[in-house]
Amino acid sequence: MNLLESFISAATSLSGNKMRSVLTMLGIIIGISAVIMITSIGQGLQAAVNGQFSKMGAAGLEVSVKLGEHVTSKDLLTVADAALLETHPNAESVSPMLAMTGRARLQNPSETDSLYYVGCNGSFKDVYGLDMLEGRFLARQDLENNASVIVIDSNLAKRMFGQADPIGLTLHASFSFGNMDFTVVGTYKPTDLGSLFQMPTFAYIPVTTLQKAYGRSYLDSIYVNVKDRSAIERTAVELSKLLSMRHNNDGKYNVANMLKGMDSVNTVLGGVTTFVSLVAAISLFVGGIGVMNIMLVTVTERTHEIGIRKSLGATDGNIRFQFLVEAVILAAMGGLIGIVAGYCGGMALGGAINVQPSVSVTTVAFTVFISSMVGIVFGVYPASKAAKLDPIEALRHE
Amino acid sequence: MAGEALARDRERGEGLGTGAIIEARRLSKTYKVGRHEVKALREVDLSVAPGEFVAVMGASGSGKSTLMNIIGCLDSLTSGNYFLDGEDVSSIAGNRLAAIRNRKIGFVFQSFNLLPKLSAARNVELPMVYAGVPARRRAAAARTALGRVGLTDRGHHKPNELSGGQKQRVAIARALVNRPSILLADEPTGNLDSRSGEEIMGIFQSLHDEGATIVMVTHERDIALHAGRIVTFRDGRIVSDEKVAAPSRAAATGRAPDEFA
Repeated sequence: MNLLESFISAATSLSGNKMRSVLTMLGIIIGISAVIMITSIGQGLQAAVNGQFSKMGAAGLEVSVKLGEHVTSKDLLTVADAALLETHPNAESVSPMLAMTGRARLQNPSETDSLYYVGCNGSFKDVYGLDMLEGRFLARQDLENNASVIVIDSNLAKRMFGQADPIGLTLHASFSFGNMDFTVVGTYKPTDLGSLFQMPTFAYIPVTTLQKAYGRSYLDSIYVNVKDRSAIERTAVELSKLLSMRHNNDGKYNVANMLKGMDSVNTVLGGVTTFVSLVAAISLFVGGIGVMNIMLVTVTERTHEIGIRKSLGATDGNIRFQFLVEAVILAAMGGLIGIVAGYCGGMALGGAINVQPSVSVTTVAFTVFISSMVGIVFGVYPASKAAKLDPIEALRHE
Repeated sequence: MAGEALARDRERGEGLGTGAIIEARRLSKTYKVGRHEVKALREVDLSVAPGEFVAVMGASGSGKSTLMNIIGCLDSLTSGNYFLDGEDVSSIAGNRLAAIRNRKIGFVFQSFNLLPKLSAARNVELPMVYAGVPARRRAAAARTALGRVGLTDRGHHKPNELSGGQKQRVAIARALVNRPSILLADEPTGNLDSRSGEEIMGIFQSLHDEGATIVMVTHERDIALHAGRIVTFRDGRIVSDEKVAAPSRAAATGRAPDEFA
């Protein structure tokens, strides 16, 4: 009795008991679809996060003054410090950063929106991985002239100016220290992560303009992208030393590797995936018991058939194989349906939280493999029970 | 078809040298029922020559069903020897016994024992499936076998779409399809009306005429009288073994004889 025969026989038997087959598969369907749904969201999220981090120049350092140290005004970072760091051979692009929250007037003049005004230079586009949609980013002259120009995201542009072309229009900003008007020179593509993590909307203005308006000469931090990623740790130490030499102090600067942020996000997502896999393993185990249970019922119900088949020359192996194939089909079909259901669930959930779910071929192959294994593991006992039936006893069984 | 195979076996005359298809010597079977031992067969000697049509009679519990199970290689014996077609099968077990059932024995049961979900043709194909015959040859052989019992046009019917007599004819086609050495029939007319029973006996007789060896259990003397020899059991022993001088021919059933050909 070959595989095809067993397959046809099993399929005939399973389709003869559709309701029962579907209910039996349900445990496995739920287990597998949960795995696919969560991992597709997890992988989608991971891809989005990694994509965002890799756009941030792939390797970035954030230089800031250590909190809690006895910091005096001479230790604070300045635009000149940013220029100094630019001289480091491993520095790809450097941007000073001074940020503050404020509000911006929307299309309806009585409505305002909270904005995070980021003072920076032209390099920040590369440092932060921004995709420009219209116009341009900040330019060198903007900083030299303390120009009142601004780059906003396209969603904000819509809320502020409707369908009109935002380039050249005026944004009315209000800060704790007063009001300012900016001319929009460019719009950028909002990131998926921004809306996912409820991050504030960023608007970019020349750092010098903000410093002048605010009456401050120092910065919050300096962003440095490195050329050689493998030397990033050494570069961090060297940048810190450069600043200490210039400010004539010691160890007051903190140089954070932003890639570590990516690692920690990946760690969290990895933890979630492990947890979900554990839950899925339990549900697959329960599903497998369901398969075993129904196969035992099937063997009892079909004892007479087994007797007939044995009288016609079926070996124990033939019978065992027939029932094992049935269990595997049951489990593997549950797995396949689970994959489809999980993918649909992932799409729905992903749509709701604005993440593009991603299902890898490896995941699908692994899932099919696992569900087939569940069929084998939980099908062996009932199949062996069927194989061991005494033909005379089985023939007598009605 | 079964006839040809049997004629071949007869010519070979191998094995014990007796030429018998069934050779049982001091066959005993004891069952344990709780603490009690039930002796179903007590040192039975039985020899069936190729081409014989033997009816086995006896009350229920006389041991005739046990004998059938042992002859059919479904059950093992407690002591004695059983040679099937010259081969000592007393000590064979498991999968090799399944192979012997598959190739040397064709069963016809009282309750037909067809698989209800399979068509008549697929039922007839089953023994060939276990013999490893390729699908195309199976289909052709099943058609021939169904033609042999006059059911050429019923191959695609499920058992529940067939009458009792037709079901038993499908079962006979299934029993014949692997060209077995013997046909074992256990009360083949027990679930049939007398007319259908006559039809079945007609088929058996025509198979017998072609040289098939048939062993048939029955408790009806009318049916037994279609055979050439009647062996009667009581309490696990053979109490009589008689030749039938003039076996009754199955009554014409209004079916042309060539329909069975």
